[in-house]
Amino acid sequence: MQDYEHIFNQLVKDYSEQLWWHVRRMVASQEDADDILQDIYIKIWNALPSFRGESGLYTWVWRIATNETLNWLRREKVRAALRFTSLDDQLQHRIEADPFFSGTAAQRELFKAVARLPEKQRQVFVMRWWDELSYEDISAITGTSVGALKASYHIAQEKLKLNLSEVDVSK
Amino acid sequence: MTKKTDISVPEGHFQSLQTRLSTIPTREQAPRGIRKAAPYLAYAASLAALVLMGNAVLRQTAVQAQESSDWDYVSYLAQSLDPDGLVELKEADPLSDDEIVSYLLASNLSVEQVNELYYEENH
Repeated sequence: MQDYEHIFNQLVKDYSEQLWWHVRRMVASQEDADDILQDIYIKIWNALPSFRGESGLYTWVWRIATNETLNWLRREKVRAALRFTSLDDQLQHRIEADPFFSGTAAQRELFKAVARLPEKQRQVFVMRWWDELSYEDISAITGTSVGALKASYHIAQEKLKLNLSEVDVSK
Repeated sequence: MTKKTDISVPEGHFQSLQTRLSTIPTREQAPRGIRKAAPYLAYAASLAALVLMGNAVLRQTAVQAQESSDWDYVSYLAQSLDPDGLVELKEADPLSDDEIVSYLLASNLSVEQVNELYYEENH
């Protein structure tokens, strides 16, 4: 257990901040990002003994984080449907009312437009644009080919351009 | 990290987060699978107990009920059921949203199907 604890603490030190930013962008809430990150690290701790080393620790940790985040979004989508609302609307509202948002109107509109993208495109866009991961890393984490990722990113960019061209960000 | 300037983070946020995360190994010693499955196992056990009880009551009353009128049969069933058990069943905690969501996700229904079912149920 001693070794695992040491590795775990190293993973917290090395990746928690980077992963938090990813989750924060995906769920648009500081509190939920904190909770989800906690769940991610509980998963990491519980799975650490079964880590076989086929992928690097970095990829493995990121894979757990992205799966956990997508699962959270999926659960929220069902919860929203039970309340006759939509997760998209909730995310838009969260971004609009986010007390920690300190950017320009244009940055807020970009954030909102990204939140409107389909789940997978949003994930790829967040990982590439904000997390600044390489396509190769994203490919290893998501198990999607580099070509398919580039296509997704391109489609996402086109949709964002279209959405943002209709928005007045002069405020 | 220049693109992250649009969101601020309270001072010391990451430090306190990392401190909290580093307590996970001491908090999470027991195998997680068993703890996670415990509520579901409890529900499954309750359901199995109810089915077995119902079956036993029906078997016991079947012979006597054959010769009785329908009304006698219903009265006998009502008397033979433990009234405390019925009260307990009525007052049992309703399922939480989390449990409903977990069940729906496990049943592989799409969000649209869930919405449709829920709508039919409530209208």
